Amino acid sequence: MSYLVLARKYRPQSFEDLVGQEHVSRTLVNAINSGRVHHAFLFTGARGVGKTSAARIFAKALNCERGLSPQPCQQCPSCLEITAGQGLDVFEIDGASNTGVDDIRELRENIRYLPSHSRFKIFIIDEVHMLSINAFNALLKTLEEPPAHAKFIFATTEPHKIPITILSRCQRFDFRKISLLAITEHLRKMVNAEQVEISDRSLALVARRGEGSMRDALSTLDQVLAFCGNRVADEEVQGLLGMVDRRLLLDTVEGIVEHDSRRVLDSVRRVDDLGHSFRRFCQELVESFRALVLIKVVEEPGDLLETTVDELAQLQQLADRGGVEDLQRVLTLLVKAEAELAGSTFPRLTLEMTLVRLTHLPPGKEIGALLRKVEDLERRLAGSGPVAVVAAGSPLAAEKSPPVHREEPRPTKVVPVAESTAVAEPIAAVEPPLAASAADQASWPELVQHVRKERPRIGSILEHGRPVRFALPELEVGFVAGSFHLEQMKDAETAEIFQELAEGFFRQPLKVRIVAVDGDYGDRVPPSLAEERRSRETGRKEQLEQEARNHPVVKAAQEILGGEIVEIKPIDKESPQG
Amino acid sequence: MTFASIIGHDRQKDLLRRALSSGRLPHAYLFEGPAGVGKRLIALALARAIFCQQGNGCGDCAACRKVDHHNHPDLHFVEADGSAIKIEQIRTMQKELSYRPLEAPKKICVIDDAEKLNLAAGNALLKTLEEPAANTLIILLTARPDALLITIRSRCQRLPFARIERKRLMEVLCEQLAIDETEAHILASLANGSFKKALGKDRDLYIEGRRELLKTLTGLSPGSVLPLFNFAEKLAQDKEMLPEILEIFQAFYRDLLLYRHGRPESELVNIDLMEKIHRVANDESTPSLLGKLSALDQTRRQLARNVNRQLAVEVLLMHLVA
Repeated sequence: MSYLVLARKYRPQSFEDLVGQEHVSRTLVNAINSGRVHHAFLFTGARGVGKTSAARIFAKALNCERGLSPQPCQQCPSCLEITAGQGLDVFEIDGASNTGVDDIRELRENIRYLPSHSRFKIFIIDEVHMLSINAFNALLKTLEEPPAHAKFIFATTEPHKIPITILSRCQRFDFRKISLLAITEHLRKMVNAEQVEISDRSLALVARRGEGSMRDALSTLDQVLAFCGNRVADEEVQGLLGMVDRRLLLDTVEGIVEHDSRRVLDSVRRVDDLGHSFRRFCQELVESFRALVLIKVVEEPGDLLETTVDELAQLQQLADRGGVEDLQRVLTLLVKAEAELAGSTFPRLTLEMTLVRLTHLPPGKEIGALLRKVEDLERRLAGSGPVAVVAAGSPLAAEKSPPVHREEPRPTKVVPVAESTAVAEPIAAVEPPLAASAADQASWPELVQHVRKERPRIGSILEHGRPVRFALPELEVGFVAGSFHLEQMKDAETAEIFQELAEGFFRQPLKVRIVAVDGDYGDRVPPSLAEERRSRETGRKEQLEQEARNHPVVKAAQEILGGEIVEIKPIDKESPQG
Repeated sequence: MTFASIIGHDRQKDLLRRALSSGRLPHAYLFEGPAGVGKRLIALALARAIFCQQGNGCGDCAACRKVDHHNHPDLHFVEADGSAIKIEQIRTMQKELSYRPLEAPKKICVIDDAEKLNLAAGNALLKTLEEPAANTLIILLTARPDALLITIRSRCQRLPFARIERKRLMEVLCEQLAIDETEAHILASLANGSFKKALGKDRDLYIEGRRELLKTLTGLSPGSVLPLFNFAEKLAQDKEMLPEILEIFQAFYRDLLLYRHGRPESELVNIDLMEKIHRVANDESTPSLLGKLSALDQTRRQLARNVNRQLAVEVLLMHLVA
């Protein structure tokens, strides 16, 4: 007889053996006791938690010759047959290999006959999610009303792939992941049975590697036993599982927290020299930083972290050196790097890059504090303008009736296109301006600034616009007739965006119109921002020239050398001393 | 091939030997580790150790020779048919495994590149993998264990293989290729612990082509666009080599990064170009280097997704010279 792995050797044979699935075994036991056994069951859950085992135990319980009982005798021929996997009336079908509709037809053919010597004919379909859609559909009628002697048990890890019509015909049992404690206890029982010496610490490591799956944990234990024989040393387990030395790990964490890039690069080299998997190392870093964040956030983190007291003290020290925000940022980047490492062709480089990047992170500031600062600044900058508008605007906003606003024609439609006298549209006479509107021409530059920030393109067009009428909620912006800017602003989309931004700025619904103005309309229309700037600049230039001419040094030079001033160039616009 | 003649992987060999001698050999192994480090060789060595009539994988008995010649009736290989391993192949294998072994004490089935199992094939394997017939050993080999079904992984005993240590690789390269130490160092670093890479077709590219490429790359300037586009065109034409070329660039920028952080020469790759590294590193800052490395990374990912190659390379070069 060849060697059987632990997971097969110690496959649970009764409901009591089934670890961590008490909710399932209890329901099934009670169903049997009360004689209310459904004809179709679906067992779902993660890998290696006991679905197939439960199916076999249940089959045994149903077919035991000593009578229908939740405790199968394990001695009668039927029980023994099932344990050996050769039951005549228990069909264990590999759903992933027999996927087609023909396989199901065969099953339907088969199901009509009475069981050969047992109470029920039981069909266990494992990996049932791989059946084709036709196969599932062919099964529907049978599954709904099977003969009285037939029972179905489906097992799968992926219940979402099963058609809803199948799901509704089955009693569904969700198997849970098994807790670390339960796995450890179970492993302990097994090593005792195998007469192996192993420390609790190593056993916990093995159990943790299972990640909630008993079979994974048992595979790992198998490997440990194969390597170490009957006396298992802690160091050997660590090496075998590719665990990174705690000291190296903490050293790296310290390097990151202290922004010491040289040190973290050294750690990477050491990891490489030791032949650890970089991904594994990154995973452990993630775990360490998770611990740090937890220490920061939770007062008594002892239960959440599975660490020893010494380690906790060390971690506590490290946690004190960084802010929560910083640690969380590091954690986020590490988690990302961990995913990248999985597909990386040059994992060492990926890790090096990530760690260097982490050590170069600028210290984070708390967002709340930053927000407060920004608000403070805004208040100081704003002075009168938008703040006043907001104050005055909010009651207006409360009164507004949005549907009416929506019925208004789009601003572009009312624009009289080619007429230069369009400014004189009599709308002003029809609708007197609202008295409450506190905004005036002064807030035009701020509005432009606001738009510019959101949509730089529209902002720069607006710089050429003139605030023709500024009586909220009416806003008339003029552009030189026939100019490029007018064409641009007449574009429906642009106008709409502008309207939205302006409404956001004044916090009230607006009537925005884009009108054409005559180029030399003169004083009746306020100048655009661009014009203002230009005139300011020419003024400044003249002033500069004047200054230069009158400068004593220049004058002296003229007198002594008898020279003539040909050109005056401002050297630097920004710095007046140039 | 015996265990002893395979370079590296001492721990893995030890583990397999112990499992064999203690009779605790599981029914399914998953060998996972980078491509070209010797997973398949180890699997063959294991097969020989099991089949050998002398009981030690002698290499002289009939069984050992049959394993070496891939014609042992109890040793089966499943390899990708085209781009994937298909369900028919798994069905054939299952049928094969349902018979008793002919000569040897066990039937062994090696599934190479197990990540290529397609969904149906992978699922079809599950029941066999969980409870195969007695005296069966299934060995799955993969470079990307994460691409396998989690249910497959859970059914196997996993045996991770590490990269071959650089020093070890260097020694072997010096010996087998008769090259000097500097070249061996570069080759070993770029091959990243894989024999297949170090000894394969890339050798010329890694040694000779590399200098040319890096010279051209560092000669580019953000001002003159034409040489940049020419270079990009040249790179993009060579579809086969492009990933390796990007690797060379990556190694170079990594050198710069490490150099800036004062790492010793032995950790760098391009140790024959120290002068260039010194010169270029002075013009770069850590954030800019990180940015360039990210750009390289992104380009690699894009190329894997079938983008316009030339465009991707042009964008990359612009990032690199910026």
